[in-house]
Amino acid sequence: MAGKPVRPVNAIDQTRRMLSLVTYLRERPGARVEDVARAFGITEDELVSDLDVLPMCGTSFRGGDLLDIDTDGERIWWHNPAALGADAAEPLRLAADEATALLVAARAVATLPGLRESDRQALLRATAKVETSAGEAAGASSRLSVTFESEGGVFADVDRAISERRRLWIRYYSPARDEVTEREIDPIRLVSVGHTYVEAWCRRSEARRTFRLDRVAEIRILDEPSAPPEVELRDLSEGLVQPAAEDPEVVVEVGPGGRWVAEYYPHDSADELPDGGLRITLRTPDPASLRRLALRLGRDGRIVSPSALADSARQAAREALAAYDGMEAAGTRGGAETVTGSGARPGAGAVDGQHDRQERAL
Amino acid sequence: MAIAKAERLMNLALCLLGTRRPLSKRELRESVEAYLEAGSDDSFNRMFERDKDDLRELGLVIETVESLDGEIGYLARRDSNRLPPITLDAEEAAALGLAAKVWQQARLAGAASGALQKLRAAGLPEDVDPYEPHSALEPRIPVHEAAFEPLMLACRDRRPVVFDYRKANAAQPEPRHVEPWALECWRGHWYLAGFDRDRGAERVFRLSRITGKVRSRGSRFTAPVPDVVTVRETVASWAGETADRSALIRLRTGAGYPLRAKATGVRELGDGWDELEIPYGHGLDAWLVEFGPDVVVLEPAELRADVVDRLRAVAKG
Repeated sequence: MAGKPVRPVNAIDQTRRMLSLVTYLRERPGARVEDVARAFGITEDELVSDLDVLPMCGTSFRGGDLLDIDTDGERIWWHNPAALGADAAEPLRLAADEATALLVAARAVATLPGLRESDRQALLRATAKVETSAGEAAGASSRLSVTFESEGGVFADVDRAISERRRLWIRYYSPARDEVTEREIDPIRLVSVGHTYVEAWCRRSEARRTFRLDRVAEIRILDEPSAPPEVELRDLSEGLVQPAAEDPEVVVEVGPGGRWVAEYYPHDSADELPDGGLRITLRTPDPASLRRLALRLGRDGRIVSPSALADSARQAAREALAAYDGMEAAGTRGGAETVTGSGARPGAGAVDGQHDRQERAL
Repeated sequence: MAIAKAERLMNLALCLLGTRRPLSKRELRESVEAYLEAGSDDSFNRMFERDKDDLRELGLVIETVESLDGEIGYLARRDSNRLPPITLDAEEAAALGLAAKVWQQARLAGAASGALQKLRAAGLPEDVDPYEPHSALEPRIPVHEAAFEPLMLACRDRRPVVFDYRKANAAQPEPRHVEPWALECWRGHWYLAGFDRDRGAERVFRLSRITGKVRSRGSRFTAPVPDVVTVRETVASWAGETADRSALIRLRTGAGYPLRAKATGVRELGDGWDELEIPYGHGLDAWLVEFGPDVVVLEPAELRADVVDRLRAVAKG
C-alpha cells in the first residue's frame, strides 16, 4: 500500500532509530529481522543497514567495547549486551519535535468526524499518556495544528461499506457541470488531504473516480457486494488531481486579483505578466467545466484559449444579465471606480488576503 | 572512506549516555574514531559543536559542567534522558501507529517515526501492525510549502522572522517582519498567525503566498503571545463562512445543489424556478456569478449590484 511515511536517508533519523534499536534488541535476543523491521516501521534493507553500523559503535572510552551485534539475515544476535552498562540502553525521552509530530498528528486524526468511536477513544487516551510522558517537550506542540474536514454521516457509511465490502449508491454533486447525478460505486479507500475523499470504482463510468465527501448529497449502502477490479493504488502525495498529458490545454490570463487561480488549480506553467498578473496554462479533460472559473474571475481574468470556452462564458454572462433588465437598481453601480466587496464582516479589517475564496478547485 | 555521520553521532551519544562523570572534549575526541580522524583542532571543534546540536535535536539532554580547574565536561545524565514510564494497550498503540504516518513532510514524518520507535523500545505493544490500516481511512497532512519548515522551527524556538509576502490581490510581494506564533492547516492549506511588527498587530498569512526565503532575526519577541491563537476563525471569515446577513435569490430548478444545501428557506415558484434564502457573507457575489444564468439575485440591492457588475465584466470580456 501507499501508506509508508516518506523517509529519506538522514543521519539524525538513523541515529535516533539506532538508539531505540539498541534498547529494543537488548530485551529480545534472537529477534527476527522481519519482526523488528515491522515494529520500527522500516524496510528490512533499512534495518540491515543499521545493523551494519552498530558494530562500529560503542562506549569506546571505556576500553574499546564495541557492540557485538550480528545477523544471519533472519535473526539478530547481540553477543555482549553488557557492553553498554546497565542503564545506557534505557528508553529515551521524547524530543520536542518528536512529541510535536506525534501529538499534532494524533489530535488531527481525532478531529475526523467519521473516525470509529472506539478508535477515537483509544487515540485520546494514548494522546493524554504521551503528553504526560513527554512533559515539557509536549509544550511546543500547541504551535502547530491541523483540522481535517469530512462529513460525518457520509464518512461512517463509506467506512462501513469498505470494511463490509459492499457497494454504495450515491447522489453526487459535480461542480463542473452543476448537476447532481446518481451512481453506484465500489469504494476502495478513504483519503484525507484537507478534504476527505473516497476513491472508488464507478460503475457508471466503469473507471476509477475520486469523490469528495462534502459533495455527496445522499448515500445508501447496498446489499450487493463491492467488487472493484484490481487497481494499483496511486501515490497521492503529488495531489489528487493529476491531469493526463493528452488532456486539452486551457490558457487563462489573470490580473493581480486572480493570482489565486495558480494556488487552486494544478497547472503546467504560470508566467508573470508585466501588470503583476499571471498567464496560466493548465490541462483538463473537460475544458467546458472551467466556464465557472471564467465567470468567477470577472474583471480579474479571462480565458485566452480555447476560444469556445471564452465564448461560452461571455454568452452565459449575457444571458444572466438579461434577467436583470428593467430590475430596479441593477445599473446603479458597476462603474470602474466603484468599490467592490462589502466590508461588513466583523473583524475583517485585521486580516490579509480578504479576497480569498472558498476552495472549489477540486 | 570517511566515517558515516550516523556512526559518529551514535558513538558520541553512547559515550555521553554511558558515562557517570562529565567527559572533557579531549576525552571525547580520543574516544570517537571519527574525531581522531578529524585532522585539525578547528575541524574537530566545528564537527563536535554540530554533533552536539544534532543530538539535542533528537532529544538528548546534554549537560555542560565546568570542573574546579575550569575544564568543560559533557554528559547525558540518565535521569534527564530516561523516558518516564508509559503503558499503552494494543488499541492505543494501533491508534498512535495510524497517527504517526500522516505527515507528508520529511522532517515531521521522521520525527513521528522516531517517537513511535522510542515508544516501541519502551514496550509499546506490536501485535497490531501499525502499517495495516485499522480503519479504511488514510489521513494525510499535506505540506507543499517551502516556508513550512523554517516557520515551524521559528514558532518552536520563538524566533522573529522576515519574509516576502504577496497579498492575494497585490502584484508585488512586500517584506514582512513577523513574530510567528502558530501554524495551522485548514482544508489542506497552511496558515501562519503572528505579530506583524510593522503593522503593530496580529496578522494571518497564507504560506503559499510567501515568496523567497524565510530568514530568522536574532532578536526576541516584543509582543506577548496569546494563550489561544485562532487561525481558523480568521481564515473562515476570508472564505465567507461567517455570514451575518441573508440574501434572497431565484435559482433554476435542478441547478445549484450547493446553494440549496446552504439555504435556510426554499420556495418552489412553479415556473422552472425556486426562490431561496441563503446566508450572505464575504465572497457570495463571486460564488453566485459561477452559476451564470441559473441564478438571479433579488435582495439585497447591494449584492445584486455586485453580481451585475461582475457579469458585465465577463460579458465585455
